Amino acid sequence: MKRQIPLIIVITLGFLFVAHTFIPSKASVDFYDWWVSWSKAISPFAVVLGILSLFMVHGTKIQRKAPNWQYSMVTLLALVITAFSGFAWGTNEGTPFLWLFENVQMPMSATMFSLLAFYIASAAYKAFRAKSLQATVLLVAAFIVMMGQVPIGAAISKWIPETAQWILNVPNLAAKRGIATGVGLGMTATALKILLGIERTYLGSD
Amino acid sequence: MSILQRFQNIDRRWIYLVVALCIIVPLLIPFNSKTYVTDPSSNLYQKIDSFAGKEDKAVLLSFSHDASTMAELFPMEVSILRHCFERNIKVFTICFSPPSAPLMAYALNVAKEDYPNLQSGVDYCNFGYKPYGLFLPIVLGMGDDVAEAVQTDADGRKIKNLEIMNGIRNYDDLNLIIDFAASSAVFSWITYARVRFGANVAAGVTAVMAADNYPYLQSGQLVGMLSGLKGAAEYEKLVDVFAAYEDAEYPNGREYSPEVIKDTWVPIMSKKVSYESSDGIVETDVELPYKFKQARIGMNAQSIAHIMIILFIILGNIGYFMTRNKPDETI
Amino acid sequence: MLEFISNLIAALLTLFIFSFLYKDNPFYRFAEHLLVGVSMGYAIPLVYINAFIPFVYRPIFLEGNFWLIIPSCIGILYIFRFTKNLSWLSRYPIAFGMGIVGMGVPMSMHSSVLVQMRNAMRPVDSINSLLIFIGTVTILLYFYFSKPHKGLYGKFTNVGIWFMMVGFGASFGYTVMARISLLIGRIQFLLGDFLGFIK
Repeated sequence: MKRQIPLIIVITLGFLFVAHTFIPSKASVDFYDWWVSWSKAISPFAVVLGILSLFMVHGTKIQRKAPNWQYSMVTLLALVITAFSGFAWGTNEGTPFLWLFENVQMPMSATMFSLLAFYIASAAYKAFRAKSLQATVLLVAAFIVMMGQVPIGAAISKWIPETAQWILNVPNLAAKRGIATGVGLGMTATALKILLGIERTYLGSD
Repeated sequence: MSILQRFQNIDRRWIYLVVALCIIVPLLIPFNSKTYVTDPSSNLYQKIDSFAGKEDKAVLLSFSHDASTMAELFPMEVSILRHCFERNIKVFTICFSPPSAPLMAYALNVAKEDYPNLQSGVDYCNFGYKPYGLFLPIVLGMGDDVAEAVQTDADGRKIKNLEIMNGIRNYDDLNLIIDFAASSAVFSWITYARVRFGANVAAGVTAVMAADNYPYLQSGQLVGMLSGLKGAAEYEKLVDVFAAYEDAEYPNGREYSPEVIKDTWVPIMSKKVSYESSDGIVETDVELPYKFKQARIGMNAQSIAHIMIILFIILGNIGYFMTRNKPDETI
Repeated sequence: MLEFISNLIAALLTLFIFSFLYKDNPFYRFAEHLLVGVSMGYAIPLVYINAFIPFVYRPIFLEGNFWLIIPSCIGILYIFRFTKNLSWLSRYPIAFGMGIVGMGVPMSMHSSVLVQMRNAMRPVDSINSLLIFIGTVTILLYFYFSKPHKGLYGKFTNVGIWFMMVGFGASFGYTVMARISLLIGRIQFLLGDFLGFIK
């Protein structure tokens, strides 16, 4: 009941979808339309999981007055205020909801990722070592591709961008094709394992 | 500790300061630089341009990223929209994640500022945000009927009633999908739209994902690709040189030509568009606002930053190899 | 005025995040927690307006399609994930969504494997196509770990490793470019939109 019925659901639906992919019939289309309408009805409730999880984690911190519990207050207040502004004044242009997103979430989200530029520079100086011939080849290829992408590289010599493009079109293509094929086979194998009920990690533990 | 060892153990905050200066100075003191256009970008340009003025052809832009990657993807989105607006190409936009919706609206607003005669529902249409649960139904449904699959646009209007849908029924007409993504989201469009319906798919991706997509370029599963800020800079140049080109002979832009793009440069320092080639310099009265050269100015800072990173790697390795066999010396 | 205040707040929050580069501090922590809260709060009304109302509320209560009460009840089972004794109920909505894996098998097999293989089987009529062929085959041989990489087989897989090093070098170069581009974007905002030094 606890694991068998969900497994049966996955296996049954999975094989029906395989049939749907290969068999063009009205029954196949009707099955797909039915699955889509039910899937649309289930999907909004997934966000409740995220909200509950956030409230549980931060609520517990506030309740127990854990270290830095004040920051958890900030998180929960921000969540409540943002959600409330969306429900109260709508989500269109010019509303407080969108203002919060454009002037609070967007800049901070972009800045968080931009910190990586500093870390990659620090790693370049302190960690990237040509300790073997293969590592040296990796670094040389990286240098050529980096210089080939920027105007200064082309100004130094036209061979730099052309070599960079050759690296991308030949050895890089071969490498990525081999890796993509391996990944594709792995994905197919995993999907088959899910389909046949062998892979069950998505069900979680008991 | 020797001086070499001190340099090896330098506080990383000094490195951060150097990085910041390498970005700030070229942005404050911009300079003209030459952007070379590569095949993936020019192939995409030609594909979009082949829809110019056609009632029964349109482009769909799918926004699959959030604000964290806006620096790379926003300039290319604005450039492609500008291309479509210049050459009277019908363009639709759609997104399947909540953070992409305001970015999509922002890109549209920025691009259409210079085209006051454009009308939503006639020249372009924003399908708006659709929940991710609808990704497959919409992608597969557009193979039969776009209006039926999408239903309403961002303003709540029924799509089938819009003038822009004249001549647009399914992927045979909405024949090019460009996915702007920081992930492998374009793979889903290839898997479902291209495989099943033969739709043309192109990608505007961050540079991190670009190298991984070359097999799809070579196999033809992607008709073109813009890779990060460089791709955006290339497309900005293509639009300046061809789609936005205006003179007595070409009042509405000119056709793509590989010889012209190799020979022509657009100085980004001037406020008006000018063209520099082996035939000389041609100046125009057309404004070149910052938003249409943002990527090319950014590439100047990119140049300095790349040289800095390469120097860091070389210096770090020189210091490492010189100090690794030496005992610790105190002064 | 509103634009100035908006830019000021965005710039301040940007600088709060950048302050982490010097060291961890209360300003950075405040900004970090604010980001989490606003990001989550942003999704809630959008999901309600764009998913719950058109796909649950309207069909059931306005259009009378009462069959959809069943999937709505299945969706509600998600919340039992946090209970000790009834967490198994949350497997039902997950299982319903996982069913689509059946369509993914043939589709991903086609685009990831078959099309790539077809394009790898082109005539070897140039040095480049020969290199691509050798690289693809040796890398696929490398990923076959059931056979020890020794002897002649090991020599072939070693060639694959060299190709992969060049491929990873290209990826690294592009990654550096991507990260720097993100920083350029933020600096352009600070210098342009906020301080007005670049126009």
